[in-house]
Amino acid sequence: MTSTGAMESIRPRISFYEDHGKYRGILSWILTLDHKRIGLLYFIFVMAFFFSGVVLGFFMRLQMLAPGTIMKPQTYNSLFTLHGIIMIFLVVIPAIPTIFGNFFLPIQIGARDVAFPRINLLSWWLYITGAIIVVISVFTGGGPPDTGWTFYAPYSLRTTVNVPLAVFGVFILGMSSILTGINLVTTTHRLRAPGMTWNRLPLFVWAIYSTSWVQILVTPVIGITLILIIMERFFGVGVFDPAKGGDPILYQHMFWIYSHPATYIMILPAMGVISDVVPVFARKRIFGYMAIAISGVAIAAVGSLVWGHHMFVSGQSDFADILFSLLTFLVAIPSAIKVFNWVATLYKGSIVIEPPLLFCLAFIFLFSIGGLTGLIQGALAPNMHLHDTYWIPGHFHYIIFGGMGFGLFAAFHYWFPKMFGRMYNRKMAMRAWAVMLVGFNIFYFSMLLLGWEGMPRRYYDYLPQFRSLHLTATFGSWILIAGLILMFANLFRGLFKGEKAEDNPWGGATLEWQIPSPPPTENFEKIPGIRHGPHDFKELENNG
Amino acid sequence: MENREVKIHPVKYRTYVFVWMGLVILTGLTYTVAVGIHPAGWAIFVALAIAGTKSGLVLNYFMHLKSERLVIFKVIIPLVMAVFLVFILLTFSDVAFRGVVK
Amino acid sequence: MDEAKEAVFEEARDYTGAKLGMWLFILSELLLFGGMFILYSGYRYKNPADFHHASRELEVVLGTLNTIILLTSSLSVATSIAAIQKGQRKLSMVLLMATMALGLLFLANKGFEWGTKIEHGIYPNSPTLLARSKGEILFFGLYYVMTGLHGLHVLVGVCVFSVMLILIAKGTLNQMRFVPLENAGLYWHLVDIIWIFLYPLFYLIT
Repeated sequence: MTSTGAMESIRPRISFYEDHGKYRGILSWILTLDHKRIGLLYFIFVMAFFFSGVVLGFFMRLQMLAPGTIMKPQTYNSLFTLHGIIMIFLVVIPAIPTIFGNFFLPIQIGARDVAFPRINLLSWWLYITGAIIVVISVFTGGGPPDTGWTFYAPYSLRTTVNVPLAVFGVFILGMSSILTGINLVTTTHRLRAPGMTWNRLPLFVWAIYSTSWVQILVTPVIGITLILIIMERFFGVGVFDPAKGGDPILYQHMFWIYSHPATYIMILPAMGVISDVVPVFARKRIFGYMAIAISGVAIAAVGSLVWGHHMFVSGQSDFADILFSLLTFLVAIPSAIKVFNWVATLYKGSIVIEPPLLFCLAFIFLFSIGGLTGLIQGALAPNMHLHDTYWIPGHFHYIIFGGMGFGLFAAFHYWFPKMFGRMYNRKMAMRAWAVMLVGFNIFYFSMLLLGWEGMPRRYYDYLPQFRSLHLTATFGSWILIAGLILMFANLFRGLFKGEKAEDNPWGGATLEWQIPSPPPTENFEKIPGIRHGPHDFKELENNG
Repeated sequence: MENREVKIHPVKYRTYVFVWMGLVILTGLTYTVAVGIHPAGWAIFVALAIAGTKSGLVLNYFMHLKSERLVIFKVIIPLVMAVFLVFILLTFSDVAFRGVVK
Repeated sequence: MDEAKEAVFEEARDYTGAKLGMWLFILSELLLFGGMFILYSGYRYKNPADFHHASRELEVVLGTLNTIILLTSSLSVATSIAAIQKGQRKLSMVLLMATMALGLLFLANKGFEWGTKIEHGIYPNSPTLLARSKGEILFFGLYYVMTGLHGLHVLVGVCVFSVMLILIAKGTLNQMRFVPLENAGLYWHLVDIIWIFLYPLFYLIT
């Protein structure tokens, strides 16, 4: 699609790696305005935090192997709190929008950069600042937070550990998230190439676009809630303190007004990845393009109305319980539409089995389990039994790790050759995939079973009848971690020793595959004109 | 690109002054009404209606929403109002009914 | 890359795009205060009488005066932007300075108001306040947090305007290029709109 004419002879194509801009060395990265470099900056740090989160999780599972011998209860409380804060605020929420949204959204719509490159860099700096503050909060003050990642009042107002600093760090991360959202929405509105109409946008762009709206609209609500915690701690304002008339249940409302939609901030971009990858490897147009695009918007909208299902046992009104339970069932509809569409896309396609597709298939399978278990706990009567048991973390790990995580891994394997210009070992990637899938299910299905039998979450110890399932879960966590190590080692090796990747190794029809790997700084020599949708493989073949 | 900025037709100063006068009058109104309204239950709705009108003036004239042509600018304020309204209503599905059924 | 990248920025200097970005930011700010209004409405619903009594203690005259001040500052910044668009640089600067002065006056009034309350022993966690009913504690808690947060926004606005003033003086902002000033104006109007709601909700509870 990009011209291979006169422009090329004037300016040789050098990739954005070789083109360091005004600064040299590390400064050419941390002061860059290039959306691709900023995407990679996020990539490095999100991955670093992902590994620290995994290590914390590993120790939690180790504790469950032999309770009481490895750590004290307070340490365990800090572990699950930090695991939650790091994984949610530093990894899962930013991961796909900041890494792949930054890197590929402008390219996929035919733009040279995002709408506000400087604000994009500012977002990254805010992310790093927030992350550093969260890390500092672990080692200073009264010790690491032990409230759980939810910071529920009134405990978060009373506990002597370093809650205010951690909360402030999360607030800064929220600002970063809002700015990224503003940037990507404006980019999608203003910088689409001529002919890139809304019904020709790649579905990944649609997903990031919907997600960005959620980020803009609900993140400020948790921002103000966290500020209020700080105000409570320092000035005793009283708005969440029952002793002063405050209502802790209102805190939970405010918290979940953001944090439930946040789970859709996590999963929607991953769904966008799946919707882009599946058609490429089925060599077939996506089934129901508009249905997927609109269902993404619907998930974003309806998903913002269901927060009360986290509070069925909190003492909120029965009327609210019933209303939120009903709304929760409604949000399953657009999610299910997507799953049906992906499966229908595969149906009678010329399927090519490659690592990205395998991760997509794992996504569909694991997300379905996560979604269906979600319906069970979204019903009021079962929720009484399942609330605050291992069922809940089992469920949301199926959604967040099985869904968003595997979507992220699919994105790694799909876009890796484009980002780095090299290819990893595909056989090894498939092996890693298989190991992870097995480990994942042993691990988290045991958690579902534990919860079903009544094992409460966040306990550092358990009754003897839960022992065998706990052992199975810990065993599964080791397999999962082995798979992760295998996968990242393979990608890391591909980074340096992999064979050179072609411009379009998978035969994708979206714009990023029509430019060199890795892309040049300005992405396109000349802004392309768009004449077909994102999955029109026929036209691609005709053009050669 | 620079040309686009020039094509803007600046609003007449007179328009702004009229809007400002309207805003001041509405402020006076909301003050007077607040003192006089019985039953008090309605007062908040009257106050909010006046505040809404004032915001409408600021948004449309001072912030030029009236003269924006792109659809997205027309959507933003209804969107934020709808989101806020839904948040309030759903929160009140708890606050207003707590202890009613139990 | 410099040349190529400069070209990118030229292209990205999109008037409507810049305003859209600002509007999205405003949207976010509205919901930041929206969160506070959710809390306010919940607590007012539960404690109507206490809110009424506590509200009587605020200086209505000062609140009304501050409303007028902020509305007038909105007028002056709007005309300042129109002035620069018409090429009347001096007038634009004068009006901008007037806006800043009004913003500072608003803050001074607010400070005076807070000062008097604090002198009477009414501030978060004070023994006098804690001795009162829970609804009144909540009212003053919300009052301090919401007007404080709003005051912070006023302060930020004044700082932004002082930067804009320098940019106009240096000629960076002119008849051809005024988007940053216009966006700063949008922000200021947002601050005004928030106050338009804070005023009846705190000072005029009947």
